[in-house]
Amino acid sequence: MPTNLQAAETDSVGLKDWVWKAAAAPGLVWLVLLFVVPFYAILAIAMGRLHPVQLRPVPEWNPLQWDLGPFGEVWSGLFGGQLGVIAIRTLLYVLAACALSVLIGYPVAYFVARKAGKRKGLFLLLILAPFWINYLMRMLAWVNLLHNDGFVNTAITAVGLAPQDWLGGRPSTVILGLVYGYIPFFILPLYAALDRIDGQVLEAARDLGASTRAAFFRVTLPLSKQGILAGLVIIMLPMFGDYYTPNLLSGSPRTQMIGNQIDQYVNQTTSQGRHGAALTLILMMAVALLMLYYLFNIARVTEEARE
Amino acid sequence: MVYHPRENWTRRGRRGLYSRRDFIQRSTAAGLSLTAFSSWLAACGGATGEDIEVVIGTPTSPATQPLFDDVPAIESSLAPEAGPLRIYNWEDYINPEVIPLAEEAIGAPIEVTIFYNEEEAFGKLLSGEVQYDVWFPAGESIGKAVAGKLIQPLNHTYLPNLEQYVWPELKSPFYDVDSLYTVPYVVYQTGIGWRSDLFDPADVEGLANPWDVFWNPKYKGQTVLYDDFRETMQMAMFRAGITEPRDASAAQVEAAADSLIELIDLMNIRYRIDGAYQGIPDGSFALSLAWSGDMVNAQYYFPEEADVNGVLGYLWPASADGSTVNGLIANDTMAVVKGAASPVLAHNFINWMLDEANSLENFAWLGYQPPQVGLDPAVLVTDAWIPENLAAVAITSEDFARPRAVVPTQLTPETETLWAQQWSRAKAGG
Repeated sequence: MPTNLQAAETDSVGLKDWVWKAAAAPGLVWLVLLFVVPFYAILAIAMGRLHPVQLRPVPEWNPLQWDLGPFGEVWSGLFGGQLGVIAIRTLLYVLAACALSVLIGYPVAYFVARKAGKRKGLFLLLILAPFWINYLMRMLAWVNLLHNDGFVNTAITAVGLAPQDWLGGRPSTVILGLVYGYIPFFILPLYAALDRIDGQVLEAARDLGASTRAAFFRVTLPLSKQGILAGLVIIMLPMFGDYYTPNLLSGSPRTQMIGNQIDQYVNQTTSQGRHGAALTLILMMAVALLMLYYLFNIARVTEEARE
Repeated sequence: MVYHPRENWTRRGRRGLYSRRDFIQRSTAAGLSLTAFSSWLAACGGATGEDIEVVIGTPTSPATQPLFDDVPAIESSLAPEAGPLRIYNWEDYINPEVIPLAEEAIGAPIEVTIFYNEEEAFGKLLSGEVQYDVWFPAGESIGKAVAGKLIQPLNHTYLPNLEQYVWPELKSPFYDVDSLYTVPYVVYQTGIGWRSDLFDPADVEGLANPWDVFWNPKYKGQTVLYDDFRETMQMAMFRAGITEPRDASAAQVEAAADSLIELIDLMNIRYRIDGAYQGIPDGSFALSLAWSGDMVNAQYYFPEEADVNGVLGYLWPASADGSTVNGLIANDTMAVVKGAASPVLAHNFINWMLDEANSLENFAWLGYQPPQVGLDPAVLVTDAWIPENLAAVAITSEDFARPRAVVPTQLTPETETLWAQQWSRAKAGG
């Protein structure tokens, strides 16, 4: 008969603790290699030096010799300089794209989860099908559709409307591009959340006298809040760093986003590569706050559910 | 003493129950580890290069690039390697139909990897983590490439076609006297391109300052500039009457950036690298800052059914009638990468590309003109290699000697940094 100590060293399926630790090791190594080391490399570049001749960033791996200059310049550019304008523009674009994603995506997810019946699988397939094609290719397809001689202008002129310069640096085109690019990643977690809502809860609401509208707003919507949050977090994070959507659908400085500025620093004017790394770190910190809010919210809801 | 697993886990840190000695021991260990890690990473990062000197040639002061003992040229009469030959080139900068012909000629397979701008190419080659045999750097960057020991000296015994076919002016160019490291690939100008059905040529032809056309609000929303800080900043400086941008003062560079910022509202300006050869044919733009080769290419990007005869136009302010402002003319090169796995194949490939027939085959798709003695620009037009309405894109060796032609040269680090900062400001809108 095992002693108490031996029992504690095994779990309910009879495996020793070290087995689980060993099983987690590849994942930990993966995380270290693909997150921690690259993160430290970005930090070392942001705080590093500029090669005096080649004008490329030289990473400084020793924290004792870090140079905070470029970081400070980016920081002051964000609070009082043109970088701040770009940051606010990025925030507005992302918020607008998220709002549109909710308005468009919620009814779709609701329909598939609660009304599609046996055709759920088919509808999910239809939503996902275009996204088997690479993001860049889909955006290039939009460029062909929207350019001045493209199909969209051909169609609207056929019905007597004036052609539009869709790719002429319009914020609306960029926002719609962002929505189109990321909306399935909003719909899927929301669909999962809506699908999990127990139908009996809604029946109970109706039995207690709630109208269809009241049942939706007082039961379905609150219960799907975590799905909305999860979907928003998933689409917001890549939207903040997106640069090829504004590049392809606009190309105008008027629609420049933070991602474009990083691309500019890193790929074009490499003498400012350290500024690009610093801006990347600041962006990471900003989106980490969003992520923390989401995790905090999840933890709170889990705690409430336990109580 | 035996610990309960939970107790063990708690004691080791969850509640921070370190003794002072534990803390010091662990901090020291962590410090040593970080130092070792830092040293290792530093070793991976390569030399910092403070002692490197870049030799910069100019048309008035040609430069012989230095040779290094640790970067020798290959011996003569070596047998070619089995390959593959790895080429590192700009996107769409070699005729795909030329590749199999070259493979047959050199007797080895060829692999092409592309880069999108020189900064990217330099970054990858300097990292030492990629291995190529032939690279296509711009002439103005050769000093930097040699100083960084990215390319190796050429052995001219493998390159008889250099002597036989290339313009005399480029056999010993100012940036690499005696062609120690490079041979010329193609030549090009930076001018003004347009689509005649959307743009009135009278708005640019005959002007004393043709660059002003990019500030003509008549073409608001229809104008595109290169998303390239050297090209576009220099255009803005030429427009301001600066004859030699590399000598411009900080105030002049800043004023050039201000004039680009002005374009955001005045012209709803767009920045693209494919604006000339793709944006003009697809109707996105009427007017573009344009490399001469891009305008030749543009005719192939129209829909198949479109009649492109006479639709495209081009002007180079350095040679245009009535113009008083300057314009850029330049050339790209071919070089053998230091540490190339197949250096003999690389030399053989370069020599094959310098052959007149092969370079013409490449030009037929590429649109960028090789500096070949046998390719008469007038014949390029009469033989329909270049459409008649684009005759201005044909370049002669005399164009390099025009009084208002500016050949770009390597910028000093201070100048390049200044231009980059001002370009970022212009792109950000102020």
